[in-house]
Amino acid sequence: MRRLDLWLLAAVVVIGACAYLAQTSTSQALASSGFATRQLVWLGLGGALMLVLAFTDYRVLARFSPLFYLASVGVLLFTLVAAPLRAGTRAWLAIGTYTVQPSEFARVAAILAVAALASEHRQDRLSFPVAVRLAAVVGLPAVLVALQPDLGVALTYVPVLLAALWLGGLPWRAWGALAAGAALLAGAAWLWYLKPYQKERILTFADPSRAPYGAGYQQRQSKIAVGSGGLVGKGIGSGTQSQLRFLPAQHTDFIFAVWAEEAGFIGAGALLAAYALLIFRTFVVGLHARDRTGALIAGSVGFVVAVEVIVNVAMVTGWAPTTGITLPLMSYGGSSVLATAMALGLVLSVWRLRYANV
Amino acid sequence: MTFVREDLRAVQRRIVVVLATALFVILLLFARLWLLQVVQSSQWRQMAENNRLRRIPLEAPRGTVTDVRGEIVLDNRPAYQLLLFPEEMSDEGRTVEFLARIGIAERHEVQARVDKARKTSHLPSVLADNMTWAQVAAVAAHRAEYRELEVHPATRRSLPAGPAVAHLVGQLGEVSPEQLAANPRLHPGQLVGRSGLEKSHQATLGGTPGNLVVVVDAFGRQVSSLSDEPPVPGHPLQTTLDLALQRAAAEAMAGQVGAVVALDPRDGAVRVLLSQPAFDPELFAGRLEPATWKQLVSDPLKPLNNRALQALYPPGSTIKPLYAAGALADGLRVPSSQAYCTGAVTIYGHPYRCWLRGGHGHVDLYDAIEVSCDTFFYYLARDAGIERLGAWARTFGLGSATGIGLAAEASGLVPDDAWSRRVRGQPWYGGETISVGIGQGPILTTPIQLAVAFAALVNGGTLVHPHLVPSENRGGRPLGLPADALVAVGRGMEHVVSGEHGTARRLASLPVAIGGKTGTAQVVRKVEGVRWQDLPWEQRHHALFVGYAPIGAPRLVVVVVVEHGGDAAGVAAPIAGAILARAFGPDVDSTVLSAQDGSRAGHSPPSDLTRTPDPGPRIPDPPGGGDAAP
Repeated sequence: MRRLDLWLLAAVVVIGACAYLAQTSTSQALASSGFATRQLVWLGLGGALMLVLAFTDYRVLARFSPLFYLASVGVLLFTLVAAPLRAGTRAWLAIGTYTVQPSEFARVAAILAVAALASEHRQDRLSFPVAVRLAAVVGLPAVLVALQPDLGVALTYVPVLLAALWLGGLPWRAWGALAAGAALLAGAAWLWYLKPYQKERILTFADPSRAPYGAGYQQRQSKIAVGSGGLVGKGIGSGTQSQLRFLPAQHTDFIFAVWAEEAGFIGAGALLAAYALLIFRTFVVGLHARDRTGALIAGSVGFVVAVEVIVNVAMVTGWAPTTGITLPLMSYGGSSVLATAMALGLVLSVWRLRYANV
Repeated sequence: MTFVREDLRAVQRRIVVVLATALFVILLLFARLWLLQVVQSSQWRQMAENNRLRRIPLEAPRGTVTDVRGEIVLDNRPAYQLLLFPEEMSDEGRTVEFLARIGIAERHEVQARVDKARKTSHLPSVLADNMTWAQVAAVAAHRAEYRELEVHPATRRSLPAGPAVAHLVGQLGEVSPEQLAANPRLHPGQLVGRSGLEKSHQATLGGTPGNLVVVVDAFGRQVSSLSDEPPVPGHPLQTTLDLALQRAAAEAMAGQVGAVVALDPRDGAVRVLLSQPAFDPELFAGRLEPATWKQLVSDPLKPLNNRALQALYPPGSTIKPLYAAGALADGLRVPSSQAYCTGAVTIYGHPYRCWLRGGHGHVDLYDAIEVSCDTFFYYLARDAGIERLGAWARTFGLGSATGIGLAAEASGLVPDDAWSRRVRGQPWYGGETISVGIGQGPILTTPIQLAVAFAALVNGGTLVHPHLVPSENRGGRPLGLPADALVAVGRGMEHVVSGEHGTARRLASLPVAIGGKTGTAQVVRKVEGVRWQDLPWEQRHHALFVGYAPIGAPRLVVVVVVEHGGDAAGVAAPIAGAILARAFGPDVDSTVLSAQDGSRAGHSPPSDLTRTPDPGPRIPDPPGGGDAAP
């Protein structure tokens, strides 16, 4: 079994198990019995998809990446036009009785596309035109997602670009220019794009006493959940913060708080360790990749997963503002689970083909 | 085919940098988890408990108050109260807006109550009692939005007798911060007695509040209850009051301003304590709107004052029997001592008029009381002097509070030289003694003082302690007055009603033989030839009457003061007559009857079906009573 990274698979299995247990708790709390079962089905399907992709050749997929990319942009455009308005956004497409969130899949296509693009010239330094093209490739779907508007998911495109630029080798001067550009963009977003509630979240994070019960409520409840879990937790299904529904968005954004409350420091630490292992192994795959494309794919996936995990856990523990960034594999949602599984499948493919002499 | 491996060292270096950074940050997150879950966990656990646990104070139902026959004077009825848990309020402005919209109170008033509630943020505060069904429903419907609000069943005071017992029962008021600090069993917003029996017997009536600890979810729904410490209801309080007489007094005094006090002269048990105008006790059964309060306080007739205990009136001629008894006891007069009344007399160079312009001619002490001859008492005052008049008045308890212990009782004023020097800065002026001799001038009494004084006159000379609760009777104090003096004064007072020239002879037709004394207290100086009916109301004399019955062995003394009533015999005496007729008369009223049926008392409203023959006198004997009888 040298062909599959067993450490990475083990981490995924541990995370999946935690996800199932945590979702049984939210099913009970939200009186919506489907969460745990459906999440388990998604995790199973995702596992299968991951293995399927593991046994494909990522280089072939990378060669066809422009195709996937254009298709995903097309679907995003279609989503913007045709998706029904749900919770204020046009983010979900209905396929039969299921709903699909194309933005999650488009991100995998974007990772593949930028990895192929950045490795095209086999150079250690990114030229300016390539850097611009990378930005455009990531920026287009990101803007389409932001227009839905789904800021949480749109923000997860940023690490895709950052990973490509960093691993591709953007000159230091360019980083300086990028930082300036980002500052300008942030300023512009503050002035014209962010909604008042989003600004309030950021302000409240900077100064929690600003609105202890308004925008700060979620974070306060989340910290209470995590902290009150103690060393060993309150037991699965026995967390007062989740069961009495003090925790907001507990099956999605704040699932880590549910787990931390009910499984305690031991459980939350184990889960965080599993994520650390997953991220570590993904980067290790990048180190062992046979070519630049493989290294970029694994490095980007590792980077994206790391950013999501870090931002989400930091948010749940009160270190980052509420952004709507979910916890990969743990947070409820088929599209998110499947897209993450596909990205990890690509990483496994890179691992499998690390020595292959083709 | 040779495979040239790409040189990926630069990419690998960058991957290592990112990997190291990620792992470092994750390590920080581990530390964060350790801090929250292990180091600070007890603090967060406490917050989680505060989140889910609500301590709901359970107000103790206050004790009932019954009258001498067990009829309900003060009871409880179920009501809904609104609790605010200030710590859980997310948007104060919105909550205030909501409460104002559903009509809890005006916006600024709601704001004031919420501000007050925030000062004791760890405990819930009562924002409103007596919620309407619509308000209860509105709060219930918006429970998820206003988690901080909670409707809780409670009780409210109900007074079947209404305003007739308003002053007696008194008001409830929100517990003050000082009381709250002194007694940890009280909780913010709790109602405690602020006046009347509610205040003087707070310890008996108040009970002990309980606690209910419930688990609530994020939407304020009660999921389960953890512990339950039920409230201990207040104890019932049986009083000496006679509600039937109290009602009769209120009826007779309707539209008048003044007070009625009736007590049993044998032991001081108070049967009637009425002050007019009264306020609607319903206003005080819950939280009072400041506007209503302001209106009550600024009312020139001062409806909140308990005139029976707090108002000071010149006793007028009602003081004459007291002086007469004093003069007889001191040997300054004998019953047959004569005075000649021409209608006016000049003493110390000043003319003093008797109320009867033509004069009463020859009067002895009996006549002087019967016809209320001023001249007789002018001479008596001159002969006695102010110090002796004062001593007589004080003997009967005037000039000091009776100690009924119900409200801030006025002590009245018995003037003398020392008082004049102290207060007015000048020696007593002898001419004033003559005025004080007929109960005018600076002498001031309260209705309850007059009742106690007359009780001593008719019970054989014992100064009783007026009380509303039998166990609080401190007992009477024998004054050591000679029996024949009291008998003589009593005869004079019987003649007031039964005599040919008695000032209250219109009461002779009452079904019971009574004695008494009229009194008219000047508010402004008398103007010759002007009938009292023609004077503006506020310039008319106060009309007083003190009556007792039955003669021989009195069981009831009634004091009636009608402010600006003008005519003692025509206005005050009939009111006392109505009360005495109700107490001793043959006409049987179903209310009185059912109230006498002790086994049924307090459990059901009086009904005509309970009509039974009169089982006996309606003034019950006090426990161990009769020892003070002559």
